Amino acid sequence: MDGKAILDGLEKAVISGNKNDAVKYAKDALTAGVKALDAIDNGLVKGMTIVGDKYAKHEYFLPQVLLAANAMYGGLDILLPHIPKADAAKKVVGVIGVVEGDVHDIGKNIVKTMLTAAGLDMHDFGKDVPIENFVNSVKNQKANLIAMSTLMTPTMDGMKAVVDGLIENGDRMKVKIIIGGAPTSQAFADDIGADMHAINAQEAVKKVKEVL
Amino acid sequence: MAEKMTHIQRCLASLADEPVDRLTVYPIACGVSRRTIGDGTMTYKEWCSSPKNYAQGLISGQKYFDLDFTVGLMDLSVIAGDFGSHVRMDEQNTPFVDDPVIKTVEDYETLQMPDPKKGRSGVILEGTKIFAEALKNETITSGFLEGPLLSLTQSASAEKVFMDMYNNRSAVHKALGTFTDYLKEMVKGMGQAKPAACMWDYLWGSYSCLGDKEYDEFEGQHKYAGSLNEAVGKEGMALAIHNCADLPHLDAQVKQMKPAVYTMAWYPLIPGSPSASDAIGKGYADNCVLCGTIDPQGFVRWSQEKMQKVTMNLIQEVKTALCARGLKSRYTIASGCEVPPTVTTRLENIKEVSDTVKKYGQVTC
Repeated sequence: MDGKAILDGLEKAVISGNKNDAVKYAKDALTAGVKALDAIDNGLVKGMTIVGDKYAKHEYFLPQVLLAANAMYGGLDILLPHIPKADAAKKVVGVIGVVEGDVHDIGKNIVKTMLTAAGLDMHDFGKDVPIENFVNSVKNQKANLIAMSTLMTPTMDGMKAVVDGLIENGDRMKVKIIIGGAPTSQAFADDIGADMHAINAQEAVKKVKEVL
Repeated sequence: MAEKMTHIQRCLASLADEPVDRLTVYPIACGVSRRTIGDGTMTYKEWCSSPKNYAQGLISGQKYFDLDFTVGLMDLSVIAGDFGSHVRMDEQNTPFVDDPVIKTVEDYETLQMPDPKKGRSGVILEGTKIFAEALKNETITSGFLEGPLLSLTQSASAEKVFMDMYNNRSAVHKALGTFTDYLKEMVKGMGQAKPAACMWDYLWGSYSCLGDKEYDEFEGQHKYAGSLNEAVGKEGMALAIHNCADLPHLDAQVKQMKPAVYTMAWYPLIPGSPSASDAIGKGYADNCVLCGTIDPQGFVRWSQEKMQKVTMNLIQEVKTALCARGLKSRYTIASGCEVPPTVTTRLENIKEVSDTVKKYGQVTC
């Protein structure tokens, strides 16, 4: 199978949410000598970008987006270990998580997927994430971006605690902060000293790309 | 100044789109109403664990804020918890599921229906009976239940359910059938509690989440929501629906399900999210009282002056849209979703909405 057919296969596997195919074509790519970064950018990410566009146009809905993300991560698991260290080091590092006291993570997972597809090296802290994990992420993960979400009102103040913690430890100016989730807004982001607010994954990618 | 109509007269007139002395008002103040009891220190946990406390909060809140409706919304982890999910119950935070009962495909199929009279479902049924009886001559009362798809996503995590809609379709349907059977029992219990209405939370009917086809298959169709809506009518209650999603399936949930009351939110930053005037203008209030759309966060973060201004603007928008549509009163000035039950919610902002509608809510076309 030639390189183009493999890249097409990766793209279609993501668009159709077929993880088995994504894994198969990722392995085929390595066997056929396609560069891992090429397979990611021109196969998996190309497919995920199309999925994101379809979601924005309400042609795809959450089930299809989640299955596509699952397929993309299946392919990434095979390909990422084969990216040369020099290329990997060039990537912008982001950490993402749902703040402490909240476990609603479906929106966070979609934002993580789209930021990964946009080329960021995303570290997923998961849900109900202690404040100090975000605060220490500049040192521990070399984060350039902190992305936080919550769906619940009482946990919104955890976002402010993260910003305050970063100011206190001297890392605030080394990182951009984006927040999201139903109760949040740009006004709230301004109030707590975050850099950006996004209403959905597409906007998050757009805003992050503008500043990083 | 004494008002010309009682709460019940006004609500009934609004349901029939007859002239009213002013628009109806109902900021969805449920859990937060516990703070109107005594010294205001009752915790959320104390409120949601006792039928007496739950009812007392709602009764007290109705009087304190002088509301036209009373709805028994608790939180969205009630049914999942009663089915065996672990619910994290912090003192003042809204409880939530932190360990869902459904983890495998087999779990969907082996789900066991609990006794609806036990657990927090039992608190709701018993508490609804108390507040419905206490307020039957004061306001229109409504019980509140999570819909089957919401009950399932709380019990299995939304992400898992959405992926299994394609990967393990029959298992998802089996679980939805179990929840629907359980909810039919809950509706019978509601019928015995005798609120005037029963409100479903059908929040997955959102174009941010599901398309028409998926929503119909996994909730909207007759064997799920359709049969539950019918059961509400058979028990002598009016049908009400709550959906605080950004892009609600208004055709399915208003025009097809035909509720008497529909409460909705508005997300101005989301393209296509329907505002009050959009929804009225497109005919969704022609046969249904629409309620909304004040941002619930405003009750925590806005000054009283800003809340008054927002409420006045909404009243004006609604009046203009009603008159343009040839309607008289089929809209309730309400919050788009529940007023946050947190301790930082400003009670004076809830009262401000009520007072502003009394002052400026007269409709003359």
